[in-house]
Amino acid sequence: MTRAVAVTLKIPDNTAYTAAVALRRLGLGVERVERSEIWFFDDGFDPQTLLARVRADERIFNPNKHRAELVDAGAPRSGELWIEEIEPAEGEPRDRGRVRRTGWRLYGPHGVALDRGGLRSAAERLLCNPAIERALF
Amino acid sequence: MSARIGVPVFPGTNSEDETLRLLRDCGGDAALVHWSRAHDLAGYDAYVLSGGFAYEDRIRAGAIAAHDRMMDTIVEAALGGKLVLGICNGAQILLEAGLVPGTGPVGRPTAAFTRNGPAPHFVCRHVFMKLAIAPERSPITAALSEEKLVPAWAAHAEGRLAASPEHLQEIVDGGHLAFVYASADGSLDRRAIPNGSALGCAGLINRAGNVLAIMPHPERDGWDFNHLDHRRSDDVLAPSGGAALFASFVEAVNEA
Repeated sequence: MTRAVAVTLKIPDNTAYTAAVALRRLGLGVERVERSEIWFFDDGFDPQTLLARVRADERIFNPNKHRAELVDAGAPRSGELWIEEIEPAEGEPRDRGRVRRTGWRLYGPHGVALDRGGLRSAAERLLCNPAIERALF
Repeated sequence: MSARIGVPVFPGTNSEDETLRLLRDCGGDAALVHWSRAHDLAGYDAYVLSGGFAYEDRIRAGAIAAHDRMMDTIVEAALGGKLVLGICNGAQILLEAGLVPGTGPVGRPTAAFTRNGPAPHFVCRHVFMKLAIAPERSPITAALSEEKLVPAWAAHAEGRLAASPEHLQEIVDGGHLAFVYASADGSLDRRAIPNGSALGCAGLINRAGNVLAIMPHPERDGWDFNHLDHRRSDDVLAPSGGAALFASFVEAVNEA
């Protein structure tokens, strides 16, 4: 079965902060942005074993910088959208074996997660270039 | 009085100095405009967005800068007909801003200069850009000869043009493919493409012909001493090679 693990910085994330500032500048009511790398795995491990393996993989996880948590592989969390690279055309580069999406969690005033309309607007106006990416809600 | 060319400097821009020098050596009245003085940009008659990593290329190359307040001025100027040239990161910013190829609404990109192929690595390689439009299609290229070869350096990790097949066809049909990579003899050879770019694209232009985005750096092969075949001459700082495009741009700005 497919499982997903969100790897998120626990130190300040400058990219997320910059995204928040840019989204506010574009008129969206975004107070805070949290960015994660969502890794997908097809394997037979139980959840805790998978989590332990991710935390032991220095290519994607640094215990001094990251936290990792299991998330639903089927859909983004509340207030979150996933950005996925569109599969390149034949002859164009592929990252073999890598299944990763970028998760953006957007919060408005008082820490309330943005609704789907807000997420869609954030994707269309900044977070997703439809020429090379698609947004999943 | 000659027209003034503004070279905006975003946090992370790093090629502004050689861009400025070559513009001046080609006769342009050019000046740097830092992000902290964004309000000064409106006073310029044309713009050159130079290379670098504006805002660290956060989210995507050029994505944050495309919505910077300096770009508000440049977008308005471009829509009003002022000439705009973007080089490397400057080209990525123009694509993210939707100014080139300009086949969609402003602010909504329809194409991208994205991760190189077939290997997704940074390339630093001498290249030739061949003019793929009639010179008179754009004031920026008007002083170049038909199928002019412009030497330059490709120095990027994300320079591959990518778009849907429909949009690529739109780019071709609309005459937006301004420059293609070519061999030194001008032949179109797949091996001349350093990054797997669709259509062999090295540069895109908008419909009106006043906004040009090129990935390679002509300003890094713009003086005699830069050339790979350089022979010591009396004036190693004489503009040449890639300076042809800058000279054409400056001529167009001064005539506008």
